[in-house]
Amino acid sequence: MIDYEWFIFLSPIIAFPISFTVGRYRRNLAGYIATISILISFILSFIVYLQIRDTSSPVYQSFNWFGDINAGIYIDHLALVMILMVSFVSLMIHLFALYYMGKDPNKHVYFAETALFTGGMLGLSISSNLVEFFLFWELVGVCSYLLIGFWYFKPNASSAAKKAFIVTRVGDLLFLIGLSILYVSLADKVASPLSIAYIVNPSSWPQILNYVGTTNLTLIGLLFMGGAAGKSAQFPLHVWIPDAMEGPTTVSALIHAATMVTAGVYLVARVYPIYLHSTAALDFVLFIGAFTALFAGTIGMVVNDLKRILAYSTISQLGYMFAALGIGSIIGDSAISFALFHTMVHAVFKALLFLAAGAILLTMMELRDVKKMGGLWKRMPITMTLMFIGAITLAALPFTASYYSKDTIIDASWNFFSANGYSLFSFLPWLMLILGALTTTIYTFRFFFLAALGKPRSELASKAKDPSKIVLIPLIILAIIALIMGQFQYLFYDFIYAHTIHVSIPYIVSLAPSMMVLLGLLITIPLYATSGWMSLDLKKSRLYRVVKNKYYLDKLFTNDIAERGIIPLSSGFSTFEAYFSRSIEAIGSGTLRLGSFFRKLQNGIIEYYFVVLVIGISIILLIVELLGGF
Amino acid sequence: MFMVLIFLLLILSSIAAFFVKKKSWEFSMITTLIILFLVFIYALLNFRSGYNGGIISKYSLSLVPAIGINFSSGVSSLTLALLLLTTIIMPVAVYTAKNGKYGSLFYGLMMLTEVGLFGLLISRNFIFFYIFWEAVIIPVFLLIAIYGGERRESASLKFFIYTQLGSVFLLLSILTLFAFYYNMNNVFTLNMTTLLSGTFINGTAIPTFWKYFVIFGFIFAFLVKMPSFPLHSWLPDAYGSAPYPVTVILAGGLSLMGGYGFFGILLPLSSIIPSSVSWIIIALGIISLVYFALVAMMQNNLKRMLAFASAASMGFVNISFGVGIMETGSYAIQELTGGIYQILAHGLIIALLFATLFSIKSKTGKENIHSLGGIHREVPVLSSIFLGGLLASLGLPGFAGFISEFSIVAASYAVIGPLIFLVIFGMIITASYHIWAAQRALYGPYNETLGPMNDIGRHDIMVLGSLLILIFVLGIYPNLIFGIISKYVGVFL
Repeated sequence: MIDYEWFIFLSPIIAFPISFTVGRYRRNLAGYIATISILISFILSFIVYLQIRDTSSPVYQSFNWFGDINAGIYIDHLALVMILMVSFVSLMIHLFALYYMGKDPNKHVYFAETALFTGGMLGLSISSNLVEFFLFWELVGVCSYLLIGFWYFKPNASSAAKKAFIVTRVGDLLFLIGLSILYVSLADKVASPLSIAYIVNPSSWPQILNYVGTTNLTLIGLLFMGGAAGKSAQFPLHVWIPDAMEGPTTVSALIHAATMVTAGVYLVARVYPIYLHSTAALDFVLFIGAFTALFAGTIGMVVNDLKRILAYSTISQLGYMFAALGIGSIIGDSAISFALFHTMVHAVFKALLFLAAGAILLTMMELRDVKKMGGLWKRMPITMTLMFIGAITLAALPFTASYYSKDTIIDASWNFFSANGYSLFSFLPWLMLILGALTTTIYTFRFFFLAALGKPRSELASKAKDPSKIVLIPLIILAIIALIMGQFQYLFYDFIYAHTIHVSIPYIVSLAPSMMVLLGLLITIPLYATSGWMSLDLKKSRLYRVVKNKYYLDKLFTNDIAERGIIPLSSGFSTFEAYFSRSIEAIGSGTLRLGSFFRKLQNGIIEYYFVVLVIGISIILLIVELLGGF
Repeated sequence: MFMVLIFLLLILSSIAAFFVKKKSWEFSMITTLIILFLVFIYALLNFRSGYNGGIISKYSLSLVPAIGINFSSGVSSLTLALLLLTTIIMPVAVYTAKNGKYGSLFYGLMMLTEVGLFGLLISRNFIFFYIFWEAVIIPVFLLIAIYGGERRESASLKFFIYTQLGSVFLLLSILTLFAFYYNMNNVFTLNMTTLLSGTFINGTAIPTFWKYFVIFGFIFAFLVKMPSFPLHSWLPDAYGSAPYPVTVILAGGLSLMGGYGFFGILLPLSSIIPSSVSWIIIALGIISLVYFALVAMMQNNLKRMLAFASAASMGFVNISFGVGIMETGSYAIQELTGGIYQILAHGLIIALLFATLFSIKSKTGKENIHSLGGIHREVPVLSSIFLGGLLASLGLPGFAGFISEFSIVAASYAVIGPLIFLVIFGMIITASYHIWAAQRALYGPYNETLGPMNDIGRHDIMVLGSLLILIFVLGIYPNLIFGIISKYVGVFL
């Protein structure tokens, strides 16, 4: 009944209790069990790849779960790309974590939870039903919650975990409303209303359009995007990721950079037919994505915490992916190829960057301020070289992977501009994305130069040294992939969607992204490659203060909505409840004097009870009598 | 017959429990486990396949035929689900009573509560239904009044008067049905199936006013038990001052009475419930959900917080019933089945939470959020189980509560439309205060004034863990129960 494909996600999930239990007695084994289970997933994913690489028919199995909701697995090329990416990156990160978490007393808990997370992420990728998808979607959310708060004794960590959970929960429940609308529109009319296989099948669309209607489709698209924005940290629900950096760095690499945060992108890509039938929803996705790409980039330029810089970079890069998806109104299904290729490239180089950062932070005793680093290239040459490869890929220097994946998205957004008759409105996405590219270059080289060049600016930085070469092997593999992956661009595009278009735009426009990289280097090299930044005083600039305060969005959520909105509302209700309760008691004891009545009749309870019974019966009999009943 | 024998055994052992002076805890523990085992066997024998949604295992014993009093019983899948809930909750509750120095009176009263719950579920005759309905209240009242904590007198009294008030209306409704049936057929009967049958209800035998009267009486009685806003004021006090074992029964067991009333008695009557009344039920459900969640957020006492959390999640049952009877077709089935599943899931989850909180209380001596803090460092297993319960309680997928909340929310859009945003708002608040409480009580720096502690022992882990696993299994493989419940619901649509 269950084919081997099920074990792609079952294997790490089964490893969860095993590595936890075994790890209680033999701490070291836990990591190996988790890593092996993920290796199994990777191998199985690869077997599936060999099996369906040349066909377009997916692996599909499904059974009744509850009511008219089914569950099962659905592996098409899109899902295949996800599971290969997730299992591979997760494997690399687990290998590095064996070293990184090696000394933690609770590492069995860590490995059990990351294995569970990986299983959840793989299950999400191959779900055959949106409810099942939602189950895994929440499972990875909980793992994220648990792992952010892994060092639970740190107040920052436990409060960041709480914030992450609640903010993403807001998005998740919007997603749930979307599911609800889709469900009630289709239940009763089709056999399995929320089946992914049904939604992605082109032949079911006349039916869906008929039953759901375009207005509801737009609504569903917007609500799903709300869920995706929560998970993938898009404006305005991005506030949780920077705080989530309180967790172990390998967790940030695995969950908050490479895999879980791409779940939102994957959701939109998964149900893309819904978006293709609603231009409004697509435009929404495009503008949210493009805006977030620029918005997060600007914050990334002023943050000093190494991991938070990378976090804002993640938010910004996710914005590019959503922007790619949003251009679907012009380029159709090709948008999925563009978005997913960048997702994959991003997973590789961001995992690389985070792992390199992990190596740095381990030797720097978790001191994360880049202004306290400096001169690390000399002291940790291998790590910093690997980080350099990650950085140039992030900044999309020519011929790195991102140069292909990201610039294609920016170019495609020019198509959006030209196809919409060169209106100002349709110019904005391109403008925001191209400025985003500039900010990317600036924040990338800012943090890299600050960390790598100059003189060590703290005791810890001057004593930093490379970890042993063996533990850096996963990073080396990731770095090699980051360098060569771009060459396979069109192979990849055609694998996801066989008819992916080749974007063609005026030559001069296609040069723009590279110009931005050049401009960014021209700004950062004189400033940050030397000690020029030390004489830079931005504190007086009002704009700087606004950006430094993250545009006051965190303040809005934490102080205004939570502390000045929900908490007073809640305490108001509690006060009301207390008064309500007291007034009920007052009625009870004051008017009826029942309280004293009872105290006098300690043994009279049964009698009283009987009296009520008799009175009740008499009344009803009286009523019936009056009606002429008996 | 098998079911009646189980019931008989339960009655006898509950009487015996009063007289077992030594090892009374062991005695009640073993009996409740035997009862659970027997009910489980019964379920396996009768419900594994081919169940068509009707009432099976019918048994009838004529007592006073002249006025239609006979003891008749029967089991539907609704009954079965709730019977399983009751019989699972009881051993947990008794287990929680292990360390207290309670005498045989305590255990006897606990068992008597189970008799009441068991009896009202299997009764198919209104007079016995009513008797057992009342029989539940008295032992619980005494348990709170004798063994309760602070404010036990007023708490128990409030509980008693409130539920008594509900019972009066319940009785009036039953008697109205009884009288009008006699009026029409000149037959005295209190048989539930007859009095709730469509031909009698939908016919002209009952004037419209009295139909509404019957509906009102039932709804009022069940809303008090649920409890629903604004009839809930007995709940926080009763939950708060009852000793923990009784709280487990109150939260897990007694909350099913209102739900059973809705789906066992009002669902057959759904054809005469006007849509305005359905809307009132829905509105009260949504208000309960949001209001209790907001009130719970500000509670510093974890026990009171959980009490409000319990009431809030029963709001889903209201929504489910109100929405479900206005819908038709397959999503109505999903909606109503979700409601019944919610009673079951909520009972198990809240029982787990109270039982775990009891362990925390007995380890630390504290149940106030501010007096705890960071206890995960000292008692990681206990705190993980508590977190598991909290996550289940906020409706996280993978736990039983999700299956029901998803069914209820997903299918509700057809009727309530944009009001779904209020439901979602309630769910967001619910998630927030659960997680907030976990953060303050379990995580963060350890409150060193609590001193060193040992984690819970093997037995505790086994009991609490198996309850958590059960909740998990019901969340992953709901069709253990979901399928047969939907057949029961399908009969009325």
